[in-house]
Amino acid sequence: MEDILEYVVQLALKEGATYAEARYQADRSESILLKNGLPEVTSFDTKRGIGIRIIAKGGLAFSATNLLNKGTLSTMVKRAVRSAVASRWLRKGGVRLSEADIVSGRFETKQRIGFGNVPMELRAELLKEADDLAIEAGRMNRVSVPGRFLSLDTWETEKTIITSDGGHVTTSVPRVAFTAFITAAVDGNGSEQRIIQLGESGGWECAERWDLPLRIKEEVGTLAMVLQRSKHLPAERMDVILGPEVVGIVSHESCGHPGEADRLLGREAAQAGDTFLTRSSLGSKAASGVVNVVDDPTLPRSFGYYACDDECVKARRRFLIKEGRFSEFLQDRETAADLDVRSNGSSRSVAYNREPIVRMANTFVQQGDHRFEELVEGVKRGVYIKNYTEWNIDDRRYNQRYVGLEAYLIESGQIRHAVRNPLLEVTTPALWSSIDAVGKDLEFSAAYCGKGDPMQGIPVWAGGPHIRLRNMHVGGGA
Amino acid sequence: MKPEEVTPVVLRACRDAGATDAVVLVTEEEEAQIRFSNNNVTVSNNLREMSAYVFVFVKGKKAGTNIEDMSKRTLVTTAQKVVEAAKRSPGEGGYAPLPQGPLLYDDRLMNSEPVTQDPKDLMSMVREAIDAARREGAERVAGSMMARNIKLTLHTSADAFGTMERGGLEISLRAFSGPEASGHGLSVASTERDFHPSESGSEAGRLAHRAASPIEGTAGRMDAVFGPMVVADLMQQVGRMASAFHVDSGMSFLRGRLGHEVASKGVTLWDDATNPNSYGAQPFDQEGLPTQRKAIIEDGVLMTYLHNSTTAAKEGVESTANAGLVAPSPFSLAMSPGGRSLESLISGIDHGIYVTNDWYLRYQNFGNGDLSFIPRDAMFLIEGGSIGASLKELRVSDNVLRMLSNIDGIGQQRKMVKWWEVDTPVLVPAVSVKDVNFTRPQ
Repeated sequence: MEDILEYVVQLALKEGATYAEARYQADRSESILLKNGLPEVTSFDTKRGIGIRIIAKGGLAFSATNLLNKGTLSTMVKRAVRSAVASRWLRKGGVRLSEADIVSGRFETKQRIGFGNVPMELRAELLKEADDLAIEAGRMNRVSVPGRFLSLDTWETEKTIITSDGGHVTTSVPRVAFTAFITAAVDGNGSEQRIIQLGESGGWECAERWDLPLRIKEEVGTLAMVLQRSKHLPAERMDVILGPEVVGIVSHESCGHPGEADRLLGREAAQAGDTFLTRSSLGSKAASGVVNVVDDPTLPRSFGYYACDDECVKARRRFLIKEGRFSEFLQDRETAADLDVRSNGSSRSVAYNREPIVRMANTFVQQGDHRFEELVEGVKRGVYIKNYTEWNIDDRRYNQRYVGLEAYLIESGQIRHAVRNPLLEVTTPALWSSIDAVGKDLEFSAAYCGKGDPMQGIPVWAGGPHIRLRNMHVGGGA
Repeated sequence: MKPEEVTPVVLRACRDAGATDAVVLVTEEEEAQIRFSNNNVTVSNNLREMSAYVFVFVKGKKAGTNIEDMSKRTLVTTAQKVVEAAKRSPGEGGYAPLPQGPLLYDDRLMNSEPVTQDPKDLMSMVREAIDAARREGAERVAGSMMARNIKLTLHTSADAFGTMERGGLEISLRAFSGPEASGHGLSVASTERDFHPSESGSEAGRLAHRAASPIEGTAGRMDAVFGPMVVADLMQQVGRMASAFHVDSGMSFLRGRLGHEVASKGVTLWDDATNPNSYGAQPFDQEGLPTQRKAIIEDGVLMTYLHNSTTAAKEGVESTANAGLVAPSPFSLAMSPGGRSLESLISGIDHGIYVTNDWYLRYQNFGNGDLSFIPRDAMFLIEGGSIGASLKELRVSDNVLRMLSNIDGIGQQRKMVKWWEVDTPVLVPAVSVKDVNFTRPQ
């Protein structure tokens, strides 16, 4: 494959490109889907092809094909150069790429238990066991569980990337992902749903570690508790403790996304949106001083793991907020050149046929020094929101909302009864500046972050410890 | 190999390996996209692909795969592998035989003219749109334009065979007048003749200019006018939730409501892939059935869920020709027009809000339809039947069924909507809705 990629790069340069990058990417996946206890479909796919990105006459273009013959590749290279050149009539200035730590080498994540050693029958049995326990948990807790949708995916992503300025990497990352959508209902008290997403990089050992049947049983038990015992919470100002799952989505949506440099430069303005941050935001107050938010692609086992990005730039940890101040934007080489900094390795593409763009990897609040009990003890009246159901945020990442699923009233430093669907509707500065204490625990949830046009749903982790917020307006739920 | 040569090879291999039924869908696609921002081209994307999707039944056991290497050897071995995967699947889901062919398809839906892929042509259309937006007062314009030619070849083991070649042009752009004032415009068409990038730019620019200097909106229940882009998002929700797959999964607010009122009288929503002028028109579904025009909602009443043969057999009804081999889905939604102009919808409201676009619709509860979404781009106060101040920072936090039932006015002029947030083509008018719950950060 290296020979073909080298051919593509050299042809692009010959056709007039001043920069060329060729990426072979193969995603081999196996999936199984169980709906209400019955196997819906088993599927396996290989999506592979070559993506070509070039700069010519200052214009940027990307071409991709899964027809891997020299004739088609040559056509696609020429088309990329032609369209880049054609864009000069509608562009001021040229696209530049920043300096960066360009790497060469092979980076492979090993599977301790290879996917090939786990037949689909065994995977299906695992899901069936989880489904059976969901039913049993419903029966034990006197709720019906009319909607049960369980899917388990394994896939391996192999990439070989060659750039005209010396990058040459081959990477291999296997991943396992589990998604469950469970509806529980009880007569007279409505229904509640839970979406569970787990994902890690690694082999089948990830799925074994999750203990899916027990996890699903516990989740149904929790839904039953919410349906049967949670009480209405009147709207009022109170302290709030957020669990790691909520902290993860908050970090991702209102810190990670606004910290993407391509949004800052308006590149995603018509789709995923802009950011409320400006070029001069770095160094300004973002949160209370106890808050540090990082995005780190190098976390072992993480769903968003990578060793080097799709521009062959070495991956590293990025501090988005450091000691309460905006510290760094996520950059690829294009945005970094515009902002006169070095790329910090944030360029990712979800498939061979997608342009690499600025993405998060694993975004989380760094651990602090409080035990969970200490966080609770410091609350006179408040609510503990352990996980969530609905959320959204505006396209400048300023006005957001989170609706709790499993949540409890806190009185005089003690956790009391469950409360139904408490909600936070809050601005980004108000949320982050209200944090007064950060827990010493750390958990992650998996997600597919959507961005780009065409859409690229890319695997990420989001997480953090428990955190405490003071004097928030909490809306009452059902 | 050519698609016509691929499908018999795969079907024969599937049958020989023991498949009860098999479907092969070959897709050939050529696409050119231009993304732009700050009035400049950002990147040009080009794509050429060919792949075959193979789906097999071994009675109620099902498996699917995608093939990108069209060599005969790969086709045969992959077909054998997918049949083996189906056989090994534990337990059986629902099963109904594939519709028996040969089947006749509407000639008008089989072919349309390919659209240009020439980068100079596409740049010229983008320039038209940007210039039009700036003429209306926009400071900066961002968006994407896409030109796609696609050929589908479908062949089933029940002797259904069809091909379809269609072109498509889409532009979606956002114009800005300051950091917090924006307007969105779009044009979606199967032919260059019906494609209007300049008008989309004008619309976005006009809205952005009018939305300049927005003030914070006030929370509360108010009457509202939803522009076509908002209505498209809501009708897309109805179309998706009408899928029998989602109904059966417990993920639909339409579950248990067949034959009941789910919207106000006057609301009729079609899924119609049979109109050759419609974006999303298609002659056959993924099981080879000729597509149909059917009312999902007629005069406010939920008339049908969307079915493939398997989900239909489970419910004891006929397929609505909406396969999706796993999950049925709508092809092209259309809401029937009313008799009101946009001005008339607005003038009928004493105190309310006009929302031109939305995004990030999320459910608190799929089963009952509790949700929220965020007005995006231009949003205006309505006072005394006229458009007033530009607003920001509001959220619609309500229930989809409640909003559908509170529609009290339907516009006459419809717009075809398809963009980043609405991926099913939807032809919709503006509507007025009573008593919508707007919330904001405290």
